[in-house]
Amino acid sequence: MDFKDKVVLVTGSSRGIGAALAKAFAQRGACVIINYLKNETLAEKVVEDISEGGGQAVAMQADVTDEESVKKMMADIIEAFGVIDIVVNNALSHYSFNPKTRKTAWTIKWEDYQQQFSGSVQGAFNVCQEAMVYMKAQMSGRMLNMVTNLIDFPVVPYHDYTTAKTALLGFTRNLAKDLGSYGITVNAVAPGLTYPTDSSKETKEDVRKMILTMTPLNRLATPEDIIGPVLFLASDLAAFVTGQCLRVDGGLVMV
Amino acid sequence: MAKYAEAEHIKMYKVPTKIRIDEHTEKIIETTDGNVVLQFPVLTGDKLREIGKEILKAQERYLSTLTVQTIVTVIDQAVQKWLDPEYPFRQLAEKLLPEITGYSKEMIRISLKRYMRTFRKKELLRFLDEEFDQVAMLDEFRPRKSGGLSRAFGPRLIFHIFSGNVPGVQLWSLIMGLLVKSAALGKTSSTEPLMAVLFSKTLAEIDPLLAEALAILPWKGGTASLETEAIELAEAVIVYGSNQTVERIKPKVPQTKRLLAYGHKISFAMIGKEALTPDRYYDVVHRLAEDIAMYDQQSCLSPQTIVVEKGGAITPKQFAQMLAAELQRFDLKWPRAELTDEEALAIHSVRHHYELEALNGQQCSVVYASSKDTAWTVIYHSDAAFNGSPLNRTVHICATIQLEAVMDILKPYPSYLQSCGLAVHPNRLLQLAALLGSHGVDRVTAIGEMNRAQAGWHHDGGLNLLQLVRFIDIESSAEWDAERYDPDVE
Repeated sequence: MDFKDKVVLVTGSSRGIGAALAKAFAQRGACVIINYLKNETLAEKVVEDISEGGGQAVAMQADVTDEESVKKMMADIIEAFGVIDIVVNNALSHYSFNPKTRKTAWTIKWEDYQQQFSGSVQGAFNVCQEAMVYMKAQMSGRMLNMVTNLIDFPVVPYHDYTTAKTALLGFTRNLAKDLGSYGITVNAVAPGLTYPTDSSKETKEDVRKMILTMTPLNRLATPEDIIGPVLFLASDLAAFVTGQCLRVDGGLVMV
Repeated sequence: MAKYAEAEHIKMYKVPTKIRIDEHTEKIIETTDGNVVLQFPVLTGDKLREIGKEILKAQERYLSTLTVQTIVTVIDQAVQKWLDPEYPFRQLAEKLLPEITGYSKEMIRISLKRYMRTFRKKELLRFLDEEFDQVAMLDEFRPRKSGGLSRAFGPRLIFHIFSGNVPGVQLWSLIMGLLVKSAALGKTSSTEPLMAVLFSKTLAEIDPLLAEALAILPWKGGTASLETEAIELAEAVIVYGSNQTVERIKPKVPQTKRLLAYGHKISFAMIGKEALTPDRYYDVVHRLAEDIAMYDQQSCLSPQTIVVEKGGAITPKQFAQMLAAELQRFDLKWPRAELTDEEALAIHSVRHHYELEALNGQQCSVVYASSKDTAWTVIYHSDAAFNGSPLNRTVHICATIQLEAVMDILKPYPSYLQSCGLAVHPNRLLQLAALLGSHGVDRVTAIGEMNRAQAGWHHDGGLNLLQLVRFIDIESSAEWDAERYDPDVE
């Protein structure tokens, strides 16, 4: 898959899956924007790694939950590169996947949901709203939203996180319908538990083992496993695929 | 150079507070948080003697006066610290050990905490009770059922010679020495010089006087002047390592001193057909792969050959294939350490040997190997045979009609056999274990637990604490006789 000269924005890409995706796009010729909220050092490290490998990348700070902040980032991207071809909504509000300390149905508050809606749905909304202005004008574009296989199978019920991601899938499908006429595709990728990442480091060995015993491929996802499916949906090979959710979880969920 | 000056300096030794080490050699290692400078002491025989005298003094004045119960409590408190993920030494160990040993971070993180749990107070008490009828014998004379009284004394100073790069194994030996109130002079191996030092420093945080009886020092194995000095200072020597190391040390230890030698051992596994039913086989394969991946088989507890019985839902050959696939997955989760050229060559050569044999049709062996490098190798043999392995995730699998029928393959190695991971029906367990015991095996354990020996196990088939202590008996005659000299006696 060739992304030569494509301009790609990956939100929340200073670490974890986001960083792996950014590096993968850059390796295949794309010019990648490494968006981060706070972690400038890590974001610059990703840029450095990409540059060392001969790729092009630039780090841009923006809070995706803040409309103005996103507007400014998108304007900066357009000013610097002239186009935006692909956006990957990967950022989320800080979340620790800790089965021991998760909130139960009877302790969780509406504010918890709101925070996740804000990180997942509002973040994607802000980015897509801004990107679609340029993509519509280009009559092409790829939007990708990172969701989770917990939507189909809440093996550990992280109520706020999973509900927000479910909403993001709904957002994805509706957007796909409206933007299809402009040649823009909108799809979702649903990883299973991806280890190791900062969010998943609190998921202890016992729960990881329980998940992998139910997984046909007998292991957990690594950040690198998520790359292929995302690149596919972002590429020309997936030109006629929109509104879909591709599960990348070793076969744990089959629908 | 600036980076170097600012870098964190870590002393890779622990000596009593009075001792000054003026000269160091240094080694810089790179970690994810920047460079760290490891400092190693430059030692002379005189310095070692000075250190030895200090720890002996601390043993005599303090450690020997503590009750075993107190010592157990101190060790337990140290272990509690290590069981806290935020404990700075634990974080330091989790940062440095992957760089020092080459083992994957995740593997070290998981195995270190699991290992520490085996030294909780209840485990230490179990360990003591396992060997002593009355643990208080280590503190005072205790009456014996057969009459008279007895008390046990540990060596005043134990010289521990550690080996290998499995993190933390040294603690076992150190703790054993502390339980019998011995000062410790520990010589660390260059491949894992950290954990014994950090744990001793933790003990110092809890009971500084007790830790004065501990000295942990690295020096090049075989440095005769230092070895001789250390042996002279010690009342007992515990040596771990290759047979060459053990054989080199043995003649240096006079008859009058105790020597506990733990040399080279080989472990293996046996899988009965009842463990290979459709609901069980994957679990067995998974747990076995963990036994093989853990510390890249560098521990002598890890299996090198696996005997698989025919007649299960998967054939021994399928078992080999599945194990290969599982080892591939483990390589993603816990990447194997980088090897030296010699180590990699050893794996290549064993692969070639069996590939050639298969080509020539001499023997029906099949090699399943990682495609890119030497990350893992599974060699399947259709005939039962016992094969040693070049380690680093290289195993032999052999097929048999019946596990009980293959004991002959063990016959050449009685003095080398150690653990057997066994997965069989309860009705076969004791009978098979008896057969294994008669062939020299000293530990039967579950698959998946091979690298974790239980507290109180008979290490290499022997006793632990009892081998270190000496007893003094007051015979009943002396007891009664003493009564006669009480002026108030009738």
